[in-house]
Amino acid sequence: MTRSSQPTSPPVVDLKVQSDPANIAGVRKAVEDAATGAGLDEKGVAEVGLCVNEAMANVIRHAYGGATDRPIVVAAHCQDGGLVVTIRDWGNGVNPATLPPKPFDPLEPGGLGLICLRRMMDGVTYAPQAGGGMLLVMKKNKPQPGAGGKSERGHE
Amino acid sequence: MSEVNPGVDLVPSTRVEPASHAVVASVRGEIDLHNSPELRGVLLELLAKHEPKRLVLNLGQVPYMDSSAIAVLVEALQKIRKSGGRIFLTDLQPRVKGLLEIARLDSIFVVAKDEADALARQ
Repeated sequence: MTRSSQPTSPPVVDLKVQSDPANIAGVRKAVEDAATGAGLDEKGVAEVGLCVNEAMANVIRHAYGGATDRPIVVAAHCQDGGLVVTIRDWGNGVNPATLPPKPFDPLEPGGLGLICLRRMMDGVTYAPQAGGGMLLVMKKNKPQPGAGGKSERGHE
Repeated sequence: MSEVNPGVDLVPSTRVEPASHAVVASVRGEIDLHNSPELRGVLLELLAKHEPKRLVLNLGQVPYMDSSAIAVLVEALQKIRKSGGRIFLTDLQPRVKGLLEIARLDSIFVVAKDEADALARQ
């Protein structure tokens, strides 16, 4: 995981939702709209949306153990030619970036969400919070003219 | 062919193709953690009820799915493989195709152009 800088601009998305899976799609679409507004291309918008989905699902399933009534705050900011998305939870505080790596087996459940974050985002940082829980900061840069972007088939 | 268990919103139509020992199901909508358990229930019921040799999933009306939906497809694949069957995915939309590639499942499922292609495969 690489480090993302903290957002400084006013958020274009600022949502507080309960940890109900029914809320994932609405948050994803709001962030996708923000990504479009930030100038990301269609592929980048789709990748940001999927990563928000996967990060929220991980919070619901792992940080909150499936509870559907806990808070999740999602914000998105335009910054440095891209979009910064933050996801704050008040869950168990386990940092996914510190979990021991395991070989990815496509026929075994789990792990795909984190792979998406690593492959699709340009910066991912998990910051344990003093009051409990976790702050996830993800950065997606606008594509540079002539640049190929991150490979979806990159190495683990 | 015969219509079977015309279904819930997520799987609006299913049919049996006896000549191919196949069940063909059309899936519709965006699938994430909210509704992937519903998809799981439908697919596992189809497999238990018909014990097909091939399950053809037309994903032409699925513009988006996440890893929880992928996990459902993998569970169904594990189930049908126990009886020597296969899962065919047809009419893939770009975002779904991209996720299958990242999950390295594009070569584990049989990806077919459309239902006719899936049913014609040996």
